[in-house]
Amino acid sequence: MNIELAINGNVASMKIEGILNSENAHVLQEKLAEVIAAKVNLLELDLFDCRNISSTGIGKILLFYKDFISTGGEIEVVRSSNSVYELFSMLKLNQLFTVNLG
Amino acid sequence: MKKARILVVDDSIAIANSLCTILKISGFEVDSAFNGSDALRKIHSSDYDVVICDIEMPGITGLELLGKVRRDFDRELDVILMTGYLDHDYFIEAIRLGASDFIRKPVDTQQIVRSIHSLIEKKQSRNDYSDFYQNTEHADFHFVLDPKQFSKFAISKVFNAFLRQSFQFNHNLLNELLICVDEMVYNAFIHGTLDLSISERTLDHDALQKLIQERLQDPEIAQKRLRFSLCVDHVANIIQISVEDDGKGFDYENWLNRMAMSPKLNLDEHGRGISMLYHLADKLEFSKEGRKVTVSKIISTSV
Repeated sequence: MNIELAINGNVASMKIEGILNSENAHVLQEKLAEVIAAKVNLLELDLFDCRNISSTGIGKILLFYKDFISTGGEIEVVRSSNSVYELFSMLKLNQLFTVNLG
Repeated sequence: MKKARILVVDDSIAIANSLCTILKISGFEVDSAFNGSDALRKIHSSDYDVVICDIEMPGITGLELLGKVRRDFDRELDVILMTGYLDHDYFIEAIRLGASDFIRKPVDTQQIVRSIHSLIEKKQSRNDYSDFYQNTEHADFHFVLDPKQFSKFAISKVFNAFLRQSFQFNHNLLNELLICVDEMVYNAFIHGTLDLSISERTLDHDALQKLIQERLQDPEIAQKRLRFSLCVDHVANIIQISVEDDGKGFDYENWLNRMAMSPKLNLDEHGRGISMLYHLADKLEFSKEGRKVTVSKIISTSV
């Protein structure tokens, strides 16, 4: 799993590649803490090359989401793989933020 | 005999096309990508035998691509790197990352064809191992894990390498199996073995690791075991994974009833793992008061 994070003005762009699971979810948690610290108001997530996410990874995203929206932040999944799109739809996360496929 | 599949990656379209033509004439099935991102996408969606990649590319370089391939495919996919400059540092880094071969540009046609044939031969001998498993009707594996060794093994990585070497499952099935294993083993460890509360589970990484090490000093916890089993049945076309812990179990019937209803958005810190297993499994079963969970997946839908 690899995470690239770029901060540009008020926008943070994060690209996650590989499988996000319980063994590496803490890396995501650390990157999301950087997003909070940067005081941006939009996080763009690129999950096109993310092959799957475990519940631990989803948990990190939701913990971040709760903190982020309380400061007026928004999340958008700008691209996602089929498996991640299906997963987010199944968990109804597309009710919280926009999730784009492919 | 099936043609070997080669992916040529070079930001120079002319060089990539020229190399593709040479390799096609030499009897290979060839595909091309003109940057590292496209190459990774193709690698994850198709089965190649060898990737030939330029080192100096804008965006993802050849060395970065090699690193990502090794991370996701271990040593199963051979990568030949090409460069116009045989720089000493590049060479050392390529060896360290696990390059299968190193070719100087302009490419010597005979040299690259020889290199590919040599790698294909080595791969074939590795494949003999997985072909053997492919012919088995029924295989059962049972493992007992000491929780003190849990983090040492990195179960998903071990399981990933084992499945890749032993069985030729497609990418989607393999990814879904890996997520299921992660959910099952992690839950058995965190809930069944360590019995961590929600607030403990959501500690930051360092604090959680410290807490886990403390809990494992407790003799009652240290004597618990995780039982992991894998059953591959090619006749029934099913792969089954079971994980059993020595914990208290849980009210799985209540959870399954909730899953069977239309899923709702769940922002709580519990129950998401079961939702994921329910979603990913072709069949999900609990037994032994919820201490044992079994996921069944159909191996192939085209039998």
